Amino acid sequence: MDSGEYEHDMASREVCANGVCMKATDVEAKLDEGNIQEAESSLREGLSLNFEEARALLGKLEYQRGNVEGALRVFEGIDLQAAIQRLQPSLVEKPPSKKGRTRTESQHAVSQHAASLVLEAIYLKAKSLQKLGRLTESAQECKSVLDAVEKIFKQGIPDVEVDNKLQEIVSHAVELLPELWKQAGWHQEAISAYRRALLGLWNLENDCCTRIQKAFAVFLLYSGVEAGPPSLGVQIDSSYVPKNNLEEAILLLMILLRKFHLGKTKWDPSVMEHLTFALSVCNQTSVLAKQVEEIMPGIYHRVDRWNSLALCYSGAGQNKAALNLLRKSLHKHERPDDLMALLLAAKICSEDSYLAAEGVGYAKRAISNAEQQAEHLKGVGLHMLGLCLGKQAKICSSDFERSRLHSEALKSLDGAIALEHNNSDLIFDLGVQYAEHRNLNAALRYAKEFIDETGGSVIKGWRLLALVLSAQQRFSESEVVTDAAFDETAKWDQGPLLRLKAKLKISQSLPMDAIETYRYLLALVQAQRKSFGPFRVNPQVEDDKFNEFEVWHGLANLYSSLSLWKDAEICLGKARQLRQYTAETLHTEGVMFEGRGQTQEALGTYIGAFLVDPHYVPCKILLGSLMLKMGSDALPVTRSLLSDALRIDPTNRKAWYYLGMVHRDDGRIADATDCFQAASMLEESDPIESFSSLY
Amino acid sequence: MSNNTATFEITVAAGESAPPSNSFSKTDEAIRYLSTILPSIPSSLSSSSNPSLSLLHDPEISTHISALLRRPSAGTGDDNLCRWLYDAFQSGDPGLHLVVLRYIPLLAGAYLSLATLWRPLAGFEAILLALYSHETTSRAGQPVTVNVPDMSHPSLYHESTSPAKNNSTALNLSIVSPTLEPHGAVRSTRRARIVGVALELYFGKIHEMPKSSKIDFCEFCRVWAGDRDDDRNKQSDPSRVGEVNDSEDGVAGRRIPLPWELLQPILRILGHCVMARWANDKEVFDAAKDACRSLHVRAVHDTNAKAILAAESLLRLGNMASLELTNEDEAADPTEIPTTNILTLN
Repeated sequence: MDSGEYEHDMASREVCANGVCMKATDVEAKLDEGNIQEAESSLREGLSLNFEEARALLGKLEYQRGNVEGALRVFEGIDLQAAIQRLQPSLVEKPPSKKGRTRTESQHAVSQHAASLVLEAIYLKAKSLQKLGRLTESAQECKSVLDAVEKIFKQGIPDVEVDNKLQEIVSHAVELLPELWKQAGWHQEAISAYRRALLGLWNLENDCCTRIQKAFAVFLLYSGVEAGPPSLGVQIDSSYVPKNNLEEAILLLMILLRKFHLGKTKWDPSVMEHLTFALSVCNQTSVLAKQVEEIMPGIYHRVDRWNSLALCYSGAGQNKAALNLLRKSLHKHERPDDLMALLLAAKICSEDSYLAAEGVGYAKRAISNAEQQAEHLKGVGLHMLGLCLGKQAKICSSDFERSRLHSEALKSLDGAIALEHNNSDLIFDLGVQYAEHRNLNAALRYAKEFIDETGGSVIKGWRLLALVLSAQQRFSESEVVTDAAFDETAKWDQGPLLRLKAKLKISQSLPMDAIETYRYLLALVQAQRKSFGPFRVNPQVEDDKFNEFEVWHGLANLYSSLSLWKDAEICLGKARQLRQYTAETLHTEGVMFEGRGQTQEALGTYIGAFLVDPHYVPCKILLGSLMLKMGSDALPVTRSLLSDALRIDPTNRKAWYYLGMVHRDDGRIADATDCFQAASMLEESDPIESFSSLY
Repeated sequence: MSNNTATFEITVAAGESAPPSNSFSKTDEAIRYLSTILPSIPSSLSSSSNPSLSLLHDPEISTHISALLRRPSAGTGDDNLCRWLYDAFQSGDPGLHLVVLRYIPLLAGAYLSLATLWRPLAGFEAILLALYSHETTSRAGQPVTVNVPDMSHPSLYHESTSPAKNNSTALNLSIVSPTLEPHGAVRSTRRARIVGVALELYFGKIHEMPKSSKIDFCEFCRVWAGDRDDDRNKQSDPSRVGEVNDSEDGVAGRRIPLPWELLQPILRILGHCVMARWANDKEVFDAAKDACRSLHVRAVHDTNAKAILAAESLLRLGNMASLELTNEDEAADPTEIPTTNILTLN
């Protein structure tokens, strides 16, 4: 607006009441002379107004032309509280009187008129104080508007009868009050004002209510002030009542989203961002996924939506769903170069041998894109590539291919570490990769480096170090490391370490110590289950069961190796109660039959285990070893069993040993020598637990 | 639950029975002891009507204490400042509690950076453990959970249009802060959790924290994330990153592992610094936005989906807020009454 137009506007402004109009400039001239009373009386005379009406108009005039100090002076001249007091009796809703309807209705209209006049005056006073930075006083004035409205309309503001102006003032005041308290630093007052706004019967229009809900959600999420649950008075039976800030904020944000879905408000992208933040901070990305799915088409680009969903599902541990979405978004017709999506897809694939080959593709694309888009992510790409190649090597059918993949995996991990030399995850993965490759010196170096880099704060780092030492047959040092790890862990986390320790004792031919350790581990696992109860609120319940199963199973194995069949039976029974049909229990059972000379039963059990889990290596080997004793007719079957075992687990020394036996019995001495050599080399570098148990 | 209220009542009772002058004398004593540690103390402090509030906000004191905390030799068992902070927290005086919390960003920053060097840091650890056990008692070890609402159920703020078939629809219960077990010492695998709890406490009082404390925090976030300026300004020597520089400023910090128990409170604090515009000025906002950017980069490096989601939404919210800041003058205030040319009574 240019100044000429503005002046023209100024000139045409008028003050009107009771059908008469006055030029605003005339009144303002009097005000500018500092003579409020004269201005007031000219209004009273010119427009036939009473004192309060005149003052209210004057105040509004001052306020609108930006003279908030002047407005305040005018408003301070009215005793607004007294005006409210006077309003109340006339507005109390009386039972239908003898004088008939028309009388009450007209009285009503008059009262509403008077009420809106007074309330507007108070509201403008609050606004003036706000503009002068006197926030606390402003909040108190604003609050008195609401208090007055509540007194005047005890049943809430009626939907139809109320006049527009009054409703407008009320809505403004409802919205302004919490903001004022918040700005003034009165947090608890702000919270109650927000709740009062949202729970009271103010007949707010949708947009206004939406703004308040959003502002309250933001306050709850980010203020750091704990609001505490709403008072019992507002709680309704069987409805959901939030009991802390996060719950209340999430509820409000979800309501806002629903309003949008129903077409009641316009889309506000920040609502979704707040909800994303809130839900991911409290680990509920699966709920977030549902919310993202519900968003109407046309708001997000489909690829963005797929990628967000993939993040949500991956955050909730549903990697399969995440990968399916990423496959769509990385399709060549969609957005095949998205780095984040490529990296996430590669990471998900790196956790599964059967997806690893696909992951290699993603990782390679990520690397080449990183070179153009974001150099710093190249190291991450190489890291993922290394992991995928390592996983791919595991299911490789040819030796040649396997060792090629292995060395490629190491090469890309080495390339990654050159770019990110203090990335602890990478250091760990390198350690494991080298260990699996039986390059134990390198593995040891990285295991130590990992512990240094993390300050010993990650249990799996201690386990890696202990396992590498055990693979080097340095059992006592391995035990020292395990004991050091005990010092750095809290009681509940010691399960895997105790299992390791028991196995170390077995390796050192100290079965009684091992039994003692297992007993301790058992007590721990059981106490854990009891102290967290059947309803443990995190998803580790399954893990606990598994742990307890593992302990019983380990004990059964230990007893059976000592030929203490009865004890072994009992432990096996306990293990079976936790998991009825598993290859592991059948394996132990078979070993026990075999130990007691019941070869046929043992054979049957091994075959059973074989049917339960065709990939379970130990039974293949035991079956092979039994068949070996059955003479030359069984040799081809034995050989294929053992080769199969080696395909799955190429570093299994027992499989190599028995394969050597097969070759020997078949008369292929050179092959037999090779196998025996492999077995003996592997024996010298055999860890007490498989390195893959670290993941 | 009943345990929880019991402890709460005890603390309240203890607080009530104490004479009102008690907290002043505690603060006076703390200030007297502090004057033996710091090179100088402003004289206005002891004459102030609310000494603990002045202690919290005084820039001179915070400069001195920050410098001491940033020394490479800070945090040992015989560090007097650590002892002072420990005593101040254990005094149970709410004002002094705030003073201790004010230094949590620096303390956690220095501690996490030095801890990986296997240095003895009993001084820092004593303070962190005091905070941890304070929280353990006040929560009775109970976890903080969130029951994510299901919109098909009516709630305080909405009615359900389609009533659920049965009332027992499973709610999504999740743990925001897990059970707290008592710890007498910092075991390294619990370090992140103990520092995380201290940060949770800090977040709970963040609205009372001075600006410089929040900025300290944001700067440490960038260091923890392993931020290198070249990520954004490209090209520089990557080997520089994350090294501990015991330079003249003292501890500069290094990239550290960021497990969720640490990352979650960090994100919530940054959320405050970015979004609580009514409480923060532009300097805090800018520092927090930088920290969010670094954490986002780190989350992508770790391919940590949850962290990517949270950091990304904070970043986007920060960008929206910057836009609003620049357009603030034009933005309409919905609580403003419309300006009209004709003023009427109705």
